[in-house]
Amino acid sequence: MSLKNTEVAEHRARIPAGAAPQDQHVRVRRSRIRPDKIGLYGLLIVAALIALFPLLWMVSGSLQSLEELLAGKSLVPLDAHWENYVTAWVQGDLGMYLLNSITYTLAAVAGILVASSMAGYALARMEFRGKGIFTVVILAVMIIPAPAMFLAQYRLLTDLGLTNSRVGYVLILITSGVPMATLIMRSFFASQPKDLEEAAALDGASSLRIFASVILPLAKPGLAAVAVIQGLAAWNEYLMALVLFDDNSLMPIQRGLTSFDSAETPQQQILLAATAISIVPVIVFYLLAQRHIVKGIGAGAIK
Amino acid sequence: MSAHLATSASRRSFGAPRRRGSARKTLLGLLFLSPAIVLIATFTITPFAQAILLSFQSWDGVSPDTPFIGWKNYESVFKNEAFWASMQNVAVFALVGFFIGNGLAIAMAVAVNKVVRGKTFFRTVFYLPGVLSVVVVGLIFTSLFSPQSGVLNRLLDIVGLGAFQQNWLGDPALALPSVIAVFIWFHWGFGFLLFLAGLQDIPSELYEAAELDGARAWSKFRYITWPQLAPVTTIVSLLTLLAALQVFGTVQVLTNGGPGYHTMVPTLQIYAEAFTNHEYGSAAAMSVVFGGALVLLSLVQLAVSARRSRA
Repeated sequence: MSLKNTEVAEHRARIPAGAAPQDQHVRVRRSRIRPDKIGLYGLLIVAALIALFPLLWMVSGSLQSLEELLAGKSLVPLDAHWENYVTAWVQGDLGMYLLNSITYTLAAVAGILVASSMAGYALARMEFRGKGIFTVVILAVMIIPAPAMFLAQYRLLTDLGLTNSRVGYVLILITSGVPMATLIMRSFFASQPKDLEEAAALDGASSLRIFASVILPLAKPGLAAVAVIQGLAAWNEYLMALVLFDDNSLMPIQRGLTSFDSAETPQQQILLAATAISIVPVIVFYLLAQRHIVKGIGAGAIK
Repeated sequence: MSAHLATSASRRSFGAPRRRGSARKTLLGLLFLSPAIVLIATFTITPFAQAILLSFQSWDGVSPDTPFIGWKNYESVFKNEAFWASMQNVAVFALVGFFIGNGLAIAMAVAVNKVVRGKTFFRTVFYLPGVLSVVVVGLIFTSLFSPQSGVLNRLLDIVGLGAFQQNWLGDPALALPSVIAVFIWFHWGFGFLLFLAGLQDIPSELYEAAELDGARAWSKFRYITWPQLAPVTTIVSLLTLLAALQVFGTVQVLTNGGPGYHTMVPTLQIYAEAFTNHEYGSAAAMSVVFGGALVLLSLVQLAVSARRSRA
């Protein structure tokens, strides 16, 4: 029963929502507010242009020659220098960095999904001693901010010999995602009906079996919300990548871009092309998984 | 519930003592929690405790020797002008970002919620900057703000406002506002998404009844939208404020804290103190002072919102 967009005649207000026939949408007010509508769309279009302009500029700048860019005469490239993208790909070692980022993101998301679905299930469905304490601990660690943590995490990983290590970085990525993901999964499991697991329990299936073969397949919407949000976070992570990696061959794309920027001082249009290449995966992902992302952000914030 | 009753009942009928059943359940619960708990204990709680210890030690980042030096790190932090400048900057940063960013977010959410056609398009575009990384945003705006070739100065020239051309990131008076503007462009979409979802949950009956009473647009916003959005506003406020206070990457890539300390922020200061100056002890002291302040702030805000929701 959706209540949005019901532009109905005024007497509707007194009828209980469920009783309103769907086909009685009377569009009386539409024509009167035309000028308002134009203003509204004008405002939205200006805002959309502001949101998009820096990205359009990046593409435009990445296709110009250095002289054109430095002369600063044209907003749109005179003729497109697509070879800038080849130069950026080769000079910037973008293939290597992108592959690293994909590896870290997939590993982090997989780890977060396993740890958070198990923990979320335990907190939502199991009765055991100490449950309350663990819930509080998971909530409490979410309050600890990154600025209080990253230095000490660096020190810990130094002690463990896990700096400049793919494993060390992925473990940090997983840990930083687990608390919020656990809370999302907990509220997801709590909202699910219990019938199937009860039936499976009566059939004598073990808890682990029930979890793996009954619960998880039903939890796909919750897992998807967690996966997209944590995937974006892992892909865009910068601070720990900055602190943990000296070795270029291990760096994710975000680090790769800054090290390309500072170490080899590429020409500006090449740097813009590299930046443009680096966002292709995330933009494609955003456009495809948009609905999940919006839902996941909501779930993450509201818990 | 009944599953638990059923299993414990059947177990009892086999003569197993009840205590063992509950011990098994505890074990099973811990088993399910163990990956999450082990990770959090190892990589969050341990370093958190270590950070506090480290703030009383001296460490150059390499040597195995880390002598305890008492409160010396804290003394040097309290005398550190750059650190206090960074605290001031981030206060300005958070306040301006908070009010402008969230004002924009709520206004645009109301606007998008009103239109029928293009809703998905505008939502997609408005949140688009939010999926980019700090590095990407930093590099794009570095080029955009560039004094000679930057497109911003060029645009000003084209529309005849050439006199307003500026060295946006290099001028001490303009650097902080410029960085804040970038931050708002980058992050306002988060609040926008949550406000929009909140608006869609407000029953339209409320507005229809208000229209019956002849309410104008503003009073509808003031007496329906605003109070109905209160829970969303609380969450968005807390999260955006904390995010602004922890800003790091955007500033590091755009200005690295410069010119001078005009855009220095605490997280960047902590980073620089450790990894540039190799004063890990005093960096840890800074992170305890600043991190403690952030924790305190979130606790206060959570307590306030808990009391408000009870009232």
